[in-house]
Amino acid sequence: MSGVRKILKDTCILAALMIFAVFTLSIIWSGITAEIELVLILFGLALIITVVNYLFDEFLTLSIIASYIIKYFVFTGIVMLFGFIAGWFYPSNFWMAFIYVGIVFVLAYAIDAFKVHKDIKYINEHIGKKEIQEEKV
Amino acid sequence: MQIVTRKVEDKPLTVTIEYPEYTESVKGLIKKIKGLDISFSAFAEDGQLRIALADVFYIENVDRKVFLYTEKDVYRLNASMAEIEKIAKDSDLVRISRICIMNTSHLSGIRQLKNSHLEAMLDNGEKLIVSRKYLHDIKRRF
Repeated sequence: MSGVRKILKDTCILAALMIFAVFTLSIIWSGITAEIELVLILFGLALIITVVNYLFDEFLTLSIIASYIIKYFVFTGIVMLFGFIAGWFYPSNFWMAFIYVGIVFVLAYAIDAFKVHKDIKYINEHIGKKEIQEEKV
Repeated sequence: MQIVTRKVEDKPLTVTIEYPEYTESVKGLIKKIKGLDISFSAFAEDGQLRIALADVFYIENVDRKVFLYTEKDVYRLNASMAEIEKIAKDSDLVRISRICIMNTSHLSGIRQLKNSHLEAMLDNGEKLIVSRKYLHDIKRRF
């Protein structure tokens, strides 16, 4: 499992480096094209969402479900705003933001819930082991 | 495990650990010994006293005042949460929420409540709310 995780992680890092190298050379040679502009906008959007997410986690203590519901509406609002500025959405199809964000959120929730469950199991197992060791001593 | 002690005058207390392999037990032992050197200057109604890290159950920031909780008592601390984290770096103290730092050596378990909040149970029966953001930090202490 850790081997698969390492391969996936290395793949993502390598892909990011390749994208960075290709885009840097493209910007030097042909300036900011429409594709590069899209990537830069997505980067900006990801940065804003990450900062808002950090502030949410730092200052609000909500249940996992409540936190995801509130974040869903806030992030959809941010994506919509960005979409209107970048020209991705029109008044007729702005609701598409709910679908795009919804898909990302369902995946993020599933991964988060799985990770929390795994971390709790790991911690409790180690506390159990420690207690057995202390009893032996 | 062998324990060798010897008196050496004119030198500070020195602990040397020799191990055939660096295992989790060795790591835990080093952490415990390092923790012996850490204590907090706390205030009680009848004056000031020093409290060893091993006696700290958790530290909480309530209305910008920092309180230290031992098994049965509560004391006031004149330090910020950031300062405490700095002092107790690499010890069993770990931040579990924006307002609380817990001593993992007194942790008896973590569970997820029905409302999906996380709760840490301590040896003295106290329960603390854990922010999911800090769960990974707790995991790293084990």
